[in-house]
Amino acid sequence: MTQKIPVELKYTKDHEWAKVSGDTAVIGITDFAQSALGDIVFVELPEMGKALTAHQSFGVVESIKSVSDLYSPVSGAVIEVNSGLLDTPELCNAEPYGNAWMIKVKLSNTQELNSLLSASEYEKFLSSL
Amino acid sequence: MTIQKTSLHEEHIILNAKMAPFAGFDMPLQYSSVKEEVLAVRNHAGVFDVSHMGEFFVEGSDAIKFVDFLITNDFKNADILKAVYSPLCRDNGTVIDDLIAYKLAEDRVLICVNASNIQKDWEWISSKVSNFKCTISNQSADYSLLALQGPESEKIMRELGIIKAVDFPYYSILETTINNEKLIVARSGYTGEDGFEIFSSHAYAKSLWKKLLSIGVKPCGLAARDVLRLEVCYPLYGHELNDEVTPLDAGLGWTVKLGKDAFVGKSALSEYKPRLQLVKLSLERGIPREGYEVLDSNNNVIGKVTSGTMSVVTGKGIAMALIQQDKICKDKKYVINIRNTKYEANFHSKAFIKGGHK
Repeated sequence: MTQKIPVELKYTKDHEWAKVSGDTAVIGITDFAQSALGDIVFVELPEMGKALTAHQSFGVVESIKSVSDLYSPVSGAVIEVNSGLLDTPELCNAEPYGNAWMIKVKLSNTQELNSLLSASEYEKFLSSL
Repeated sequence: MTIQKTSLHEEHIILNAKMAPFAGFDMPLQYSSVKEEVLAVRNHAGVFDVSHMGEFFVEGSDAIKFVDFLITNDFKNADILKAVYSPLCRDNGTVIDDLIAYKLAEDRVLICVNASNIQKDWEWISSKVSNFKCTISNQSADYSLLALQGPESEKIMRELGIIKAVDFPYYSILETTINNEKLIVARSGYTGEDGFEIFSSHAYAKSLWKKLLSIGVKPCGLAARDVLRLEVCYPLYGHELNDEVTPLDAGLGWTVKLGKDAFVGKSALSEYKPRLQLVKLSLERGIPREGYEVLDSNNNVIGKVTSGTMSVVTGKGIAMALIQQDKICKDKKYVINIRNTKYEANFHSKAFIKGGHK
């Protein structure tokens, strides 16, 4: 199956994406993640202002049959939450890179960005699974 | 242990199903979307490969007497060509498995058991048969089993010519021969909808599977099956039922007929005071999952969720939970702990939805 992997985004091996601009990043889950999870029926996101650490859980996404943690690609404080997603979790399946963005983070360590995967590196990672 | 495959395994792979090990078999969890599969069964028709389940035959003049002795429900008084759901218990009343017994003839009974318990059931049943004039055989490997479920099932079964009888009510069975293939057909299933289960040779199952898909019946996986049975509150072994509980703990009092002749577990169950009670709970927000704690309104842990999911039909989180009998909430104000957040639950005295079976 072919997965959408926009070139302008950064990725993690946990199947989250980050759209970086300056010292902020918008975060969501990848097309591969939503497809593997199936019908997404519940999303739990952090409160505004919460301090996140890279690779630690910042929320939960649930399909009908499973619960999966969301892992932040970066460290920093949550400055925006897509709270509309809580009532429309199915957007995660339909628009994983668009309206199903999850949180916006103010980066506390921009050095971390170097360890994220580029689109081509993520694509290579997926084909190795 | 080597992982087993059903006769339809290749078909599941062709359909690009999401596969997972279940009870020692590589089984399809879902083909398209769990939601779509559930809705197909509730509104139209879906087909499940449940060939992993076990088939035992009991044959001989004491066949009915023996099965009636083995199980807690009344089998002796069921009509010929009827099916009976029942727990199978130990002498101490704990549940070995739950099963459906099909009364094919005065001297022939088919017992269909859970795949995960085939070996355990077989050993237990073998240990009890010696005083009865009947033989038992484990033919699990010889049979495939398809479950066609949903309101359109009857029309489909008639169009295919498998069902001809004018009257074939729920939990009836028949044996028939089509194209030299012997079939056992039961009007049963575990979805709460009208439907049929077809026991057949592997070759016939494969041709029937393809035929059903070609006329638009949706292939459905074990994930949809679990949601369907939970929406109508049917227990599942390994969840609501296990080696530690009796049927009286798990809301199955209606299947324990203490008034009937001697049966395995009768004396233990006659005196048994239930330790647990099964409750049905739903949430306005959040999804209860197996193992989550259930609390009372004073924050005391009083039980655990045994099965939980998002209901496709109601759009709410639904659960069955086993609660300690002495801690049952008289105010019916149950709380479920989800990742350390407390969610107030709605208490349901009936199943979350009413299935459409007749």
